[in-house]
Amino acid sequence: MRNILTALTAIIIASSAGQVMAQEKSSSFKPFLEHRIVAGFNFGATTPMGFPNTIRSIDGYWPEFSPALGYELSLRASQKWGAAIGVKMDFKGMGTKDKVQYFHTIITVQDGSSTGTFEGTFTGRNKTIARNAYLSFPVSAVFTPNDNWRFSLGGYMAWKFSANFHGDVSDGYIRNGGPTGEKVIVDHATFDFGNEVRNFDIGFQGGAERRVGKKLSVLGNLAWGVRPIFPDSFKGLDFPLYNVFLMLGVSYKI
Amino acid sequence: MIRRTLCFGALLATLFSSSCIKDAPLNPEADIDSFIVAKSQLTSDPFIDQVNSKILLYLKQSAYENGVVPRIVPVPGAKVTPDPGDTLKFDQSTGLGLTAYTVTSQDGRYHKTYTVQVVNIGVWAWDFEHWVEQSPNRYMYPIEADSSSIWSSGNPGIAIALPSNQKVPGSYPLRDTTDAYHGSHAAVLETRGGTPLSSLVGIRLFAGSLFLGVFDSRFGLTNPLAATQFGQPYIGKPKSFTGYYKYTPGAVFQDKSGKPVAGATDSCSIYAVLYSGTTRLDATNIQTSDRIVAMAKLPDGGAKANYTRFNLPFVYYRPATSQMMLAIVMSSSYMGDQYQGAIGSRLTVDSLQIIHE
Repeated sequence: MRNILTALTAIIIASSAGQVMAQEKSSSFKPFLEHRIVAGFNFGATTPMGFPNTIRSIDGYWPEFSPALGYELSLRASQKWGAAIGVKMDFKGMGTKDKVQYFHTIITVQDGSSTGTFEGTFTGRNKTIARNAYLSFPVSAVFTPNDNWRFSLGGYMAWKFSANFHGDVSDGYIRNGGPTGEKVIVDHATFDFGNEVRNFDIGFQGGAERRVGKKLSVLGNLAWGVRPIFPDSFKGLDFPLYNVFLMLGVSYKI
Repeated sequence: MIRRTLCFGALLATLFSSSCIKDAPLNPEADIDSFIVAKSQLTSDPFIDQVNSKILLYLKQSAYENGVVPRIVPVPGAKVTPDPGDTLKFDQSTGLGLTAYTVTSQDGRYHKTYTVQVVNIGVWAWDFEHWVEQSPNRYMYPIEADSSSIWSSGNPGIAIALPSNQKVPGSYPLRDTTDAYHGSHAAVLETRGGTPLSSLVGIRLFAGSLFLGVFDSRFGLTNPLAATQFGQPYIGKPKSFTGYYKYTPGAVFQDKSGKPVAGATDSCSIYAVLYSGTTRLDATNIQTSDRIVAMAKLPDGGAKANYTRFNLPFVYYRPATSQMMLAIVMSSSYMGDQYQGAIGSRLTVDSLQIIHE
């Protein structure tokens, strides 16, 4: 995380230095605005940073249908440097099947006006489907070395407008209370933590675009969330999850 | 586009599934999984009560007097002290094992100490005078004069589903009562509603139950009918099952999904089953198994405002065998095994007795 922060600071400083140099060399360049429509699909995962040893194997992974559609406004301040700001509707989804061992969880259940909690350590299989939709605002520094390539690096802020995080656990057992609790067999149970997902996500993002037509480019953009998607008060999982998604798509200059 | 998806998916899958998986964590569990004693010394299979860390042994008289040499299998990686291999002897008046076994988990952080208890039913007559509150779940259970426990109920299963702030004796279906026929206490079985956690597995009603046997908590959540295991070892030939009961059905009979059923009234069930073998039957097969030798059943479970005597003769279906078990099962809702009944149905029982030939 600190390396990314250092890299980002370096690039912003370099870009401002570059701007000054560019202005001295070619004073005939006039800054202008560009408008782009961006569309594509997100591939990635809501993932822990480094797998805790309670995850014993990943038995399956698949990206859910996760379209992204947005608009980007960029300012070309100099020949090669600029900045961009965008607004994007981002669906971030994935599915996974895994096996866990001694996985500590606290499940809270609401039934009418009463709440029940169950705490224990679970060993068994898990299938999770996460599909969260955000309204995202990426902000970046843009480097355009030539007519064909365009690179951007910056951050994003996103607000959730739809959350889905559910799945089931099977073929296992849970120990009531903790590792020395009595073993209770779980052959199938479902869970739904969609209501617990945080409303606000923030992170770094960076991308590359290659022009393929007069106004059309293909692009890839990696968005790396730095805020866990569940609040600290949520104890259903014993490790934090972050949104890490790569968007592959096209941009069209309008 | 599709090719790109597949390539990327494969890359991520490889990344995640290979060296990213860390070494297995050390096992933090400290259970005894099996406690094995030679079958020739047993009148019934040993039962490990994981909730109370107790091993219940049903021994023949000679094994009880001379002690047994157990084989203990803990969870993988855990260590048992003292190392079993020496004869385990028992206090001849209380049946308590003179050695307690402590299990230490593989990661060294957790311990569990098990005491061994020999269970022997001397007199098949009960007045339910002595009751103990279980710690930490705070449900009541009856004990014998020698402090051993041969009666069980659905209480341990409800304890799994109750929020901790509701764990008080009054929340559980089986409790003691001073409204006794004889002596100072009797047992009251009351049908209660489900909890938010139990409704996750489709249980909206807990019938009050009291039975001779054990509760195996492994099945408490996903197969509760297999968790209530009925019967204790029995020698002899029972003639009849007698006792005193009174019953008030609850106001509204509900079906499995919690919907009221018009015109239906709850009734109680009281029966005793003599069956062959050393492995307990449970709520899935206690009335249908082909191991049943004889059965005594209350024919009419309707309302009885005052204490009423019942005298149920054992009807024999098959010949007796050398190793048998006798179960007494009582419930405040006759369809409690299908989670149907009336919340609030109350069955009070006292002065039970098995009359032998």
